[in-house]
Amino acid sequence: MTARDERAPWLTLKMREAMEAWLFISPTLAGFLIFFVGPLCAVVWYSLTEWNLLSQQSVFVGLDNYDDALFHNLDFWQVVRNSIVFAIGLVPLNMALALALALALSRRFAGVVFFRTVFFAPVVTSAVAWAIVWKFLLQGEAGFVNQMLAGIGIHGPNWLREPDWAMVAVIVTRVIKMVGLNMILYIAALQAIPRDYEAAARLEGASNWQIFRMITWPLLGPTTLVIMVITTIGSFKVFDHIYLMTGGGPENGTLVLAFYIYQQGFQFFDVGYASALAMIMFVIVMGLTVVQLALRRRDT
Amino acid sequence: MSSLTLRNLKKRFGRVDVIRGVTLDVADGEFVVFVGPSGCGKSTLLRMISGLEDVTDGELRIGNRVVNEVQPAKRGVAMVFQSYALYPHLNVRDNMGFGLKVRKVPAAERQQRVSEAAALLKLDALLDRFPRELSGGQRQRVAIGRAIVGHPDVFLFDEPLSNLDAELRVHMRSEIAALHKRLGNTMIYVTHDQVEAMTLADKIVVLRDGRIEQVGSPRELYEQPDNIFVAQFIGSPKMNILPAGSAAGFGAQPAGAVSVGVRPEHLSLVAPEKGQIGGKVVISEYTGASSLLHIRLDSGETCLVVVDGDAPEADMKVGLLAGTDNLHHFDTDGMALRKSRLLM
Repeated sequence: MTARDERAPWLTLKMREAMEAWLFISPTLAGFLIFFVGPLCAVVWYSLTEWNLLSQQSVFVGLDNYDDALFHNLDFWQVVRNSIVFAIGLVPLNMALALALALALSRRFAGVVFFRTVFFAPVVTSAVAWAIVWKFLLQGEAGFVNQMLAGIGIHGPNWLREPDWAMVAVIVTRVIKMVGLNMILYIAALQAIPRDYEAAARLEGASNWQIFRMITWPLLGPTTLVIMVITTIGSFKVFDHIYLMTGGGPENGTLVLAFYIYQQGFQFFDVGYASALAMIMFVIVMGLTVVQLALRRRDT
Repeated sequence: MSSLTLRNLKKRFGRVDVIRGVTLDVADGEFVVFVGPSGCGKSTLLRMISGLEDVTDGELRIGNRVVNEVQPAKRGVAMVFQSYALYPHLNVRDNMGFGLKVRKVPAAERQQRVSEAAALLKLDALLDRFPRELSGGQRQRVAIGRAIVGHPDVFLFDEPLSNLDAELRVHMRSEIAALHKRLGNTMIYVTHDQVEAMTLADKIVVLRDGRIEQVGSPRELYEQPDNIFVAQFIGSPKMNILPAGSAAGFGAQPAGAVSVGVRPEHLSLVAPEKGQIGGKVVISEYTGASSLLHIRLDSGETCLVVVDGDAPEADMKVGLLAGTDNLHHFDTDGMALRKSRLLM
């Protein structure tokens, strides 16, 4: 061996590996810093200012925007209530339907791929097209849904014009649009459960319901948690669906948090206040996620 | 406890015949092993007995009952799976007591039966652990324990030792044998490992392509194989099968013999000029207690020989001797020409 071979290299193997690792993650890291951390810090700063987008004047006001939203603005609490109602209506309905569909479509039978495609198709359908079609279907007397209800003797409401029914309508149409995604996640989870568990349970005398309750459902726990968290977050972030179907109406009956933030920031140009609302929404969603994770941890 | 009777049992998946008419009697308390190559249908046959696969045709009896249409849980069988199939979210106690719980057995009795099985299998200290906290051997014992607590008539084992390392497999094999001795139940055991089959079985069933090739005790199968398939499947290293012409030097052959079989351990090495047939060592594999020699015969075929002690080096010329009692003769269809038949 020559002296040159024995000399320690300028960079040790460990340092070279670390450099390569940083090189590989740097594009993603840069994107994360520029497009996520940066705007997040900016929003925190904006929320502490009174900044009108039109006048371009920014004044530091401390926590005034938060104080205004939480203690002086009655609209804010109605909006929070609407968001909670939307989430409480959407999340269980979406998850129950997704699980039922997954249980039906996780087995092999003729046409199963067709049915999976049918239920997943709305997920990849344009939100605009979806909203337009449903607005048409949910029209008052002339709407397809009410025509069908009239056929069985039910006088349907004016779905999108009555505050209570409008919320029901946006929840149900949103569930139908997005349920396919959770269905696919549940199907993947069900298919990952070894078939031997079911066979063993059946040999020991378990009924279908006992197998579901005592074996399948507990084993779906981690997937259920993920689905619950992402569906809850998604329900608090819902914007396009509300914007396109009801515009937050009637009588602010479907005005939810994300849409309210949009209104404050881009219709009333009050960026500081909108930023404070965004931070509050962030805290609410984060809080709910932590609670869900804690509940899950307690159960296992 | 129960006997088992299979009459012309068939199983078809779509257009594929997997089990093609199996007839078999298993006596009460017998330990029967199904062996055969991958895809021969041994696991399917076991699942048909358990009720996890339905019977396409034929009759299946457990005890005096025809059970073709009886639900799995009501057949009086318990199964130990290759994967163990332990529920990962339940601890050992709940895994073992699962079947009793779904059958609504009172908690006190459940507790007692789980404790008894745990004591039998030395699992007492592990009852509160989860499957992920157990070693492979411990998981296997829990799976067996789960089968025991149900007090089944028939135990079914589907390659239960395949996932264990070699040393643990030997240990668990002896535990299963001891368990059979203690419980005395009928046991059906599926494996592709012929050592497991030979050491555990009262009776071995050799399967190929959904049919039984031979049924018999380990000794019968080793000493009197019905055909070339069984002759080569049972025994390790496998039996040498030579064309009758190449093996003529071993002695007179019965009429109709086209192949001659001789096990590697039944051939002796001698000096080239003293051998019944001659050859040259091609490869010599030292395995510790013995050596396995690959010998190219003068007629061109390759033959395996097991030699205790010192073995000749590669390229050495050798002679081979075989006793007539150790020769097996087969006809054109590969069926054995029995010695008793030859004497008639």
